[in-house]
Amino acid sequence: MRRSSNSIVMIAYAIWVLFPFLYLLVLSLSADWRFPSILPNYIGLKNWAAVLGGETGLVKSFFLSLFISLLVALSSTLCGFLLSRIVNYNKKKNLWTIISYFPYVLAPVVFGACLSYYFLRLGILGTTFGVILAQFFIAFPYAMIFFSPFWTEKTKDYENLVATLRGSLVQKFTKVLFPLSKNLILICFFQTFLISWFEFGLSSIIGVGKVQTLTIQVFLFIKESNFYYGAMSCCLLMLPPVIFIYVNKRYVFNKIL
Amino acid sequence: MKSKSRYIGLALFLLIGLLPFGLALVYALLYSFGIVGIANDGFTTKFWQQVLVEDTFVQSMLYSIVISILSVVFSVGIAMLIAIKYVSKLEKPFMSFVSYLPLCMPGIVVAFFLIQILSEAGWISRLAYSIGLIDQLQSFPSLVNDSLAIGIIVAFVSVVMPFFLLLFISVYRQERLDELAHVASSLGASPLQIAIKIKIPILLHRTRMIIILYFIFLLGAYEIPLILGQESPQMISVMVVRELNQYDLTKISEGYVVAVMYTILISLLTLVVFSYHRSKTVSHA
Repeated sequence: MRRSSNSIVMIAYAIWVLFPFLYLLVLSLSADWRFPSILPNYIGLKNWAAVLGGETGLVKSFFLSLFISLLVALSSTLCGFLLSRIVNYNKKKNLWTIISYFPYVLAPVVFGACLSYYFLRLGILGTTFGVILAQFFIAFPYAMIFFSPFWTEKTKDYENLVATLRGSLVQKFTKVLFPLSKNLILICFFQTFLISWFEFGLSSIIGVGKVQTLTIQVFLFIKESNFYYGAMSCCLLMLPPVIFIYVNKRYVFNKIL
Repeated sequence: MKSKSRYIGLALFLLIGLLPFGLALVYALLYSFGIVGIANDGFTTKFWQQVLVEDTFVQSMLYSIVISILSVVFSVGIAMLIAIKYVSKLEKPFMSFVSYLPLCMPGIVVAFFLIQILSEAGWISRLAYSIGLIDQLQSFPSLVNDSLAIGIIVAFVSVVMPFFLLLFISVYRQERLDELAHVASSLGASPLQIAIKIKIPILLHRTRMIIILYFIFLLGAYEIPLILGQESPQMISVMVVRELNQYDLTKISEGYVVAVMYTILISLLTLVVFSYHRSKTVSHA
């Protein structure tokens, strides 16, 4: 009896999780779905055909977002890894760690609003580079914090061992530090990619409507009450994270645990 | 040579990690005191006085705090209940994948989905209509853009709860809570006592910093309250952006006052929380 009630709870939880994905997919495939209809009158590929035909600009936004997120993830993971080493081996490590939390905990949209003046002066407000730079400023502290636990006494001992064996700095990184931390680097890359991919407020402030990432498209479709295209952009927005989680769970987490 | 490269590294860290934050704060501070800005003509404290007299900031801050606390309490409560009761079921391959899926939904998608589901013309309203619970669209209670912020809280819980669930499952295993529970049980403790006196305190103790961090994140959340919130009161981030985007140029300085107050408050909170955590860690060591 208890066993079956536990299964019911798990089934209910699975439905609760999966329902939004299914609902948004159906909504993206439908048309003229209005109150009081519980099911759509039309299900087909009309909306998606329009998207692939380039009518809505969604494909462009998808690739623009992908480009921005990949660059942000790559740069912040690399800088976070290298600079967290220096910060964590420093005597004032605690102070630097607290400092790195400040931009991270502040609402990105408020941060962006206060920073937009400098972006305007530099001529990068409303440009893709401006959005990448602004997102980097919030993804970088995350990477710094993420890599902090890696730089332990044990890691330092490995580094010292390489130095004792007359290994160069390049060898230290390529033969010891990168192989030791490759799974962490991969997870950090995924996480910073997602920070950028999901970012809305900062991109809207710095992009000033000229850099139309996918999250901004979703918001525009909500404002226009174009729910079918809104649902399509939501599906596109969720696609890379679903793939990442699948890859992460299959190839990364299982190797760590 | 080695120390030189370290100094360069530290300088780079400060340049990327601290300078933008410092510059943003300085500009907001200067604007709030009328030192910079198109409509401003020199140092004044009138914008600060205006904001403090108007009470909008306090109201918005309290509104944000209440919503954030409620969302965190619900999220932690539900996640803990599920984690404690169903930990082994959630570790099976399919359920494990399902547990991670909510992390794929950003706030803006959750907000969009909740509009589709909870609004007056939403899917639940249609279900209620089809089974005769309501006879017209307007009879359905407004659950988004509502005065009680139900939509915002539901969205926050939907975003944050799955994360806490994964966190609690991970800590549950790390702390070997099943083994502790087994020992307690053999000493005569009931399942309720085991949950209240062993599992919940350990899970809360191990994750308290992350819980506080999530409270701070929710305090500054933007897209969910922007889409699901009402005109007034607004959550703090929405209010700041609204003030800064006003056509009335004299109001922009007040927006920066609010931004400065929020930044200082969050920075102090972070400082206090981390100092407290560090002192606890040191004293335990």
